[in-house]
Amino acid sequence: MANTLQTTSPTYAPKTNKQFGLRLRSRRSSRQLAFYAMISPWLIGFLLLGVIPLIVGLLASFTNYDGLNVDAFKWLGMRNYSRVFQDSEALYAFQRTMLWSALNVPIWLILSFTLALILNQGIRARGFFRTLFYLPSIIPAVGAVWAWRLLLDPNNGVVNAIISIFRPGTAVMWTTDYALQSLTMIAVWQGAGVGMVIFLAGLQGIPRELEEAAFLDGATTLQSFRHITIPLMTPVIFFQLVLAIIGSLQQFALPMLLAGGRMGSVPPRAAYFFVVHVMRQIFTFSRFGYGLALLWMLFVVVVVLTIIVFGSSRFWVHYEVDIAGDK
Amino acid sequence: MAALTPTVRTPQAQRDRTSKRLRTSISYLILYGTALVISVPVIWMILSSLKAEPEFIQYPPIVIPNPVRWDNYFHALTWIPYFKYTWNSTFLATIFSLFTVFTSSMVGFAFARLDAPGKGKLFGIVVSLLMVPGIVTIIPQFVIFAKIGLTNTYWPWFLWGIAASPFHVFLFRQFFTSIPKELEDAAEVDGATPFRIFWQIFLPNAKPALATSFILNFVGVWGDWLAPVIYLDDVKTTLAVKLATPTYVNPGDPSGHILVTLTLAAAVIYTIPPVIMFFIAQRNIMEGVVTTGLK
Repeated sequence: MANTLQTTSPTYAPKTNKQFGLRLRSRRSSRQLAFYAMISPWLIGFLLLGVIPLIVGLLASFTNYDGLNVDAFKWLGMRNYSRVFQDSEALYAFQRTMLWSALNVPIWLILSFTLALILNQGIRARGFFRTLFYLPSIIPAVGAVWAWRLLLDPNNGVVNAIISIFRPGTAVMWTTDYALQSLTMIAVWQGAGVGMVIFLAGLQGIPRELEEAAFLDGATTLQSFRHITIPLMTPVIFFQLVLAIIGSLQQFALPMLLAGGRMGSVPPRAAYFFVVHVMRQIFTFSRFGYGLALLWMLFVVVVVLTIIVFGSSRFWVHYEVDIAGDK
Repeated sequence: MAALTPTVRTPQAQRDRTSKRLRTSISYLILYGTALVISVPVIWMILSSLKAEPEFIQYPPIVIPNPVRWDNYFHALTWIPYFKYTWNSTFLATIFSLFTVFTSSMVGFAFARLDAPGKGKLFGIVVSLLMVPGIVTIIPQFVIFAKIGLTNTYWPWFLWGIAASPFHVFLFRQFFTSIPKELEDAAEVDGATPFRIFWQIFLPNAKPALATSFILNFVGVWGDWLAPVIYLDDVKTTLAVKLATPTYVNPGDPSGHILVTLTLAAAVIYTIPPVIMFFIAQRNIMEGVVTTGLK
C-alpha cells in the first residue's frame, strides 16, 4: 500500500532534456524536504511529548521514584510489578473497570446502532432527532454530571421521586451503591449521539441496489438486515468497538466528577476504577514508580484486548473487497 | 394494477404490513423515549437553576420554580471571579485550538499531497496513535513538565497544540485528499512552494474542515477537567474545575455546604458557548466526526 503512494513521478518529464529533468529532480527533492518540514511539528511533538514520556514512564516504573527522591533513587527491577498482584485494591479496581466496560460498551454500541437504524428509515423530523441525540456530546462532562446528579440524588432526586409514586419511600443510593449503573447512564447519554452519527453515515454508504436485489429475491426485512446490513456494517462496528474498549478502560473523569471533582476526591466503591487507583497512588501517596507500573499493566491489558478483538475480526468483520467478488 | 390488487390481500402480505406497522411504531417509541431521556436532564438542570435553595431541596421535587429566581444567574457570575475563570478557559481553548488546527491541517496536507520516503510508515504511526490509551503518557508527561517547571503555567497547552492531534491530522488528510489535483497544478507550474500552495490555495478552500476542527478542539479543552486539575492551581484553573469542585459556598458556613442552585446557574452559562458553536457549524461537525469515525 505504501509503495503505490510513493511512486508519483511527474509524467510530463521529457527524458531527453537533461536540464529540465535535473530541475524536476531537484524540485522533487525539495518537495520531499517540504513534506518532512511540514510534518515536523507533529513528528517532534510525537517524539518529545509521546515517545520520551513513554520511555521515562517505563524506566520510572522500575524505580522507587516518588516525585522528589532524586538522591535516594533506587532501581527496584520488577518489584513494582509483582506488587500489583498483592495490591487487593488494584485488583478490585481492575475488576470494577472490566465490569464497567462490559456494561458500558455493549449498551452504548447497541443503542447508538439501533438509533442509527431507525433514523436510516424514512423517519419524519430526522434532522431534528439527529441534532437532539448528538447534543449531549457537546455538553461538557462537568455540566452533564451535574445534570444527572440532580436526577439521581438519593434524597431529592427525580428518579427516586418517580419510583416512589409506585413504591413509596424509595431511596435508592444511585450515586454511591449503584454508581456503576449511573455512570453507564451518563456515559451512554453523552456518547450515543456520536456513535449514532457514525453508524448512520455507514448505513447510508450501503448501496441501495443490494437491498433491492435481496427484496426481489424474496428476502424478508430481517434476512436482508442479517445478511446485508450487518455484514457491511461490521468494519465500522469493529473500529468503534476497539475505540470504545480503549476509552472505557481508562475512564477516570466521570467517577471523579461524581465524587466532587477534586484530585483528592475518592469515588464510591462501586466506581473505584483502575485509573482512579493509579491517580491516587501518584497524586495522593506520591508513589510515582508504583503508579506508573500500574499504568503499564493497564497498557498491556489494553493492547492484549485490542489484539483479541483484532484477532476475532477474522471471523466476523466483513471487508468490502468481498462485495466486488460474486459472493 | 386492478388485477394486482387482490393478490396484495394474501395472508402473507397482510402479515408483512402488520409487521411493518409494528416496526414503525416500535421505532417511534424508541425515538421519543430516547428524546425524552436526552432532554430531561438538561431541562431539569435549567429549571433547578432557577429555584430558590429551600425550594430546590424540597421532596418530592417541585417542577416549575415559583418564584423564578433569575437572580441566581447574577449571583453565579458575581459570587466568584467568574469572568476571570471564563477568560482562563477561553484563553486555553483558543490558544490550543488555533495551534492545533494550524499544525494538524499542515501535517494533514503533507500526508495528503506530498510524497517522501517513509510517508506510509509515518502515517501508520498517526493511525495507530488514534488507538494508544492517552492515560499512559499523561502521567510521565506531567513528571517531565514538573521537572522543567512548566506546571501551573499555560505552556503545556501551547506545546500540545503545536504537536497537532492525530484525530485532526486524519480529518484534514481525508479532506485534502478529496480536493481535485487541478487546483494545485497551476500553482505548481508557477513555481509556488508546497507551503505556499497549502497556505494560499488549500487552507482557503478548507473553511468547513477548519471550522469543524477548531470547534471540536475548543469544545474539548473548554470541557476538559483532567488537564487543568492536574496542572493548574486555584487561580489559574478553568471553569471546568471550578464548577466541578465546591466553589459556591457561603463564606461564613463552616460545613462548606454547596449552594447548588448557584452552581447550576453557573454550569448552565458555562454550557452555552459549546452549544452555540455546535449549532453554528452543526452539519460540518457531524461530517467531521464521521470522517474520523468511519476510518
